[in-house]
Amino acid sequence: MNQGKMTNQDQRTNHEKMERALDAVQKAPRYTGGEMNTRIKEWEDTPLRFGFCFPDTYEVGMSHLGLKILYGLINRESWSLCERFFMPWTDMIAQMKENGIPLLSMESRHPMREFDVIGFTLQYEMSYTNILAMLDMGRIPLESRERDEADPIIVAGGPCAFNPEPLAPFIDAFMIGDGEDVMTELNRVILERKEKGESRQDCLRKLAQLDGVYVPGLYDVAYHEDGTVKSVTPVCPEARPTVLRRFVTDLDSAYYPEEIPVPYTEVVFDRIMLEIMRGCTRGCRFCQAGMLYRPVRERSMEHLAELAEKLVASTGYEEISLSSLSSGDYSCLPELIRELMRRLKDKRVSISLPSLRLDSVLKESLEETQQVKKTSLTFAPEAGTQRLRDVINKGVTEQDLLEKCRDAFEGGWSSVKLYFMDGLPTETTEDLDGIGDLARKVVAEYFRVPKPQRAKGLRVTVSASTFVPKPFTPFQWDAQDTIPQILEKQAYLKKALNIKGVTFNWHEPYLSYLEACFARGDRRLGAVLRRAYEKGCILDGWSETFDFGKWMEAFRECGLDPAFYANRVRPMDEILPWDHIDSGISKAYLRKEKERSSRAEVTKDCRQGCNGCGLQRYDGICSWAKGKGDAPCA
Amino acid sequence: MRMMAVFEKSERIRHIGHLDIQRSVQRGLRRSGLPVAYSGGFHPHILISFASALATGAAGKREIMDVTLAEPVTPELFLEKMNQAMPPELHLIEAAPMDDKAPAMMSLVRAAEYDLAIDGEEAAAMLTAAIPAALGQTELTAMRKTKTKLEECNIRPLIHALDGAGNHIHAVMTLTERESCKPGMLLEALCRLAGLENPPRMVVTRLRLLGSDETGGFIPLEKMA
Ligand code: SF4
Repeated sequence: MNQGKMTNQDQRTNHEKMERALDAVQKAPRYTGGEMNTRIKEWEDTPLRFGFCFPDTYEVGMSHLGLKILYGLINRESWSLCERFFMPWTDMIAQMKENGIPLLSMESRHPMREFDVIGFTLQYEMSYTNILAMLDMGRIPLESRERDEADPIIVAGGPCAFNPEPLAPFIDAFMIGDGEDVMTELNRVILERKEKGESRQDCLRKLAQLDGVYVPGLYDVAYHEDGTVKSVTPVCPEARPTVLRRFVTDLDSAYYPEEIPVPYTEVVFDRIMLEIMRGCTRGCRFCQAGMLYRPVRERSMEHLAELAEKLVASTGYEEISLSSLSSGDYSCLPELIRELMRRLKDKRVSISLPSLRLDSVLKESLEETQQVKKTSLTFAPEAGTQRLRDVINKGVTEQDLLEKCRDAFEGGWSSVKLYFMDGLPTETTEDLDGIGDLARKVVAEYFRVPKPQRAKGLRVTVSASTFVPKPFTPFQWDAQDTIPQILEKQAYLKKALNIKGVTFNWHEPYLSYLEACFARGDRRLGAVLRRAYEKGCILDGWSETFDFGKWMEAFRECGLDPAFYANRVRPMDEILPWDHIDSGISKAYLRKEKERSSRAEVTKDCRQGCNGCGLQRYDGICSWAKGKGDAPCA
Repeated sequence: MRMMAVFEKSERIRHIGHLDIQRSVQRGLRRSGLPVAYSGGFHPHILISFASALATGAAGKREIMDVTLAEPVTPELFLEKMNQAMPPELHLIEAAPMDDKAPAMMSLVRAAEYDLAIDGEEAAAMLTAAIPAALGQTELTAMRKTKTKLEECNIRPLIHALDGAGNHIHAVMTLTERESCKPGMLLEALCRLAGLENPPRMVVTRLRLLGSDETGGFIPLEKMA
């Protein structure tokens, strides 16, 4: 292979240029590295070099748990090292261009091209242009077919990898599903290639044989005249007709870092994140994560308490938050919190709690020890009426919500955040009025608490985001509202929420519209992505850099209609662009859920009995399917 | 007990601001397992103070902190535990116990010694050449930024030593709560004398903090602990 072509001289020059650039940008600490618990492994002595790329800024990337898991996991192996790359801000990009600096890793400041594998994590669609920008700044050809033997293998994983098609031209191989096991398997194959001098193409074919790995270049996609997918066909025997996602069945034996990098500057989530469980069984029909991370798997209490102690000792963080899609569902949450409090008593660590569903004895002891943080409370009823909540299977009742609010107001809280979505399937003005009613009732609960007993300064924040239909959900066939429809609804809501004590937050729908295109896009959107990037679209998730006009131009110039992706109801028998990816959830189940939804019929939490989502077809994947589950306290 | 420690802020992390350095050292103390003392009150914090805030953008060779511990610890153990718990970029060099009643290190700082690494050989040569002229004047003006305004001031009395060689300028300048001469002010004055319109880029390293003895002479601040 062609490694080490960079001379020491080049390395020094890059370093010096970078030091100069740092003096010319805002927020230089984003680029300097050297944080506690980061590692610079011996470059020459480590055969496999992995560049972990987070396609957004440092502050966002360093808040991401997946980064910390894979960083530790890859560095743990004696034969591999992992260094980080983030998306630079525009001022740094300008400096890099002007001074001819390629994108450099945070740790040893090696250029991207010097790595054997470059891995992107795909957390949200609107980070896609950043991937192109990072490859470009890394001086790596943007598309797979343009790369030669000397280029690193470009891989990607994360929730958006479940519909990999819009990124298919740019990514050599996708990892679908839980990453802990497949990461090492993939690195081994790539190391073997390096050692044996195998060709890029041979290596990709080997990767395609790993469970959970999808190599898009090994598939041909044909389209009908109307633009819908006609077929997706493997072009070689190594490529499977469908790729089943990976599952980590036992979290206790899966890798979890005991040391995590501690940034010098404050990042978005600047604390220990303890992943107490993975997956969620509530079955909200709009929620993609709820489908993709099934089944529910819990870490044992003993393991969590041990991890918490080790992480507190290795990071010095003052706060732990229990992280998962629905931490309140952890089967022995009160016991876990008690155990954490007991073990961390003298460490002055506060525990951020996900939910108020705690017994009163525990609540009291938490307040006594001040180990719990009084942050603002958040509730996500998502929809304004019971009917619509039934449609989306969101198991929140008004009574329940108001009771919790009253509890909170009595307990000294004065600010509450309520999250809603607009544009949900079947939504009418009645549902929008319902959001206003609910906010008004929450305000009334506050005033019902006698004045001396309640905290001052009521703040009810209502946020409404725009519904984006996602693959692998019962709403994957649905249309998103058009932009004018959404704008109209937002204006309506603004009036309905003109209530004293209530603040209304909303976002312009343009980003959600593009998200809807790319979430359910096909391979042809790769061209749009490239065109948009070439027109200067980057950092689209940031309002100061987002340029919707350029995106629309890119669609037009590629001869594609965004409405075809976002606003079209797809027939149930249409071949969806991601049909060759198997999430484990069966299409039959999603169809059934869609039908129940249209009758506003709720589906119960499958911990109370298997709903047959599809996972029950695989042996040893879902312990709940057989009835009992393997929860530590069950 | 109180422990004085000398530490380095490496060039790599020179862009990290003082508050972030403070927080990083506090977290280091928490990681170290040393018996740190906390303040009372509703939001207890680690009892630690720094002799002087180092500017964002500057590295420091011998910065000084003063930590209160709940139990006595030997300086050797303190250094060992802390260096295991700190990133290499914030390395501890020396530690010494302090008298509990000793004044805060902050109040003892009188001056600081700096290294200014000038980017560009030509600019460095012009600036170095201007040093004798600068020292020969009784008045050297530079702009001083206060909280509310930008004002002219005479920095000549605040410069106690100044010389240059190669790309480096070396200076000892007053640093007190009341008045101080910052490296940027010195650069500005030298540029004017040298006829340099745009000040060159420089990397500032604060080499050490200085206090003064009975005779008024400067001595390394750590000697005063
Ligand atoms: S297999 Fe059954 S129990 Fe398991 S996640 Fe699916 S519906 Fe729930």
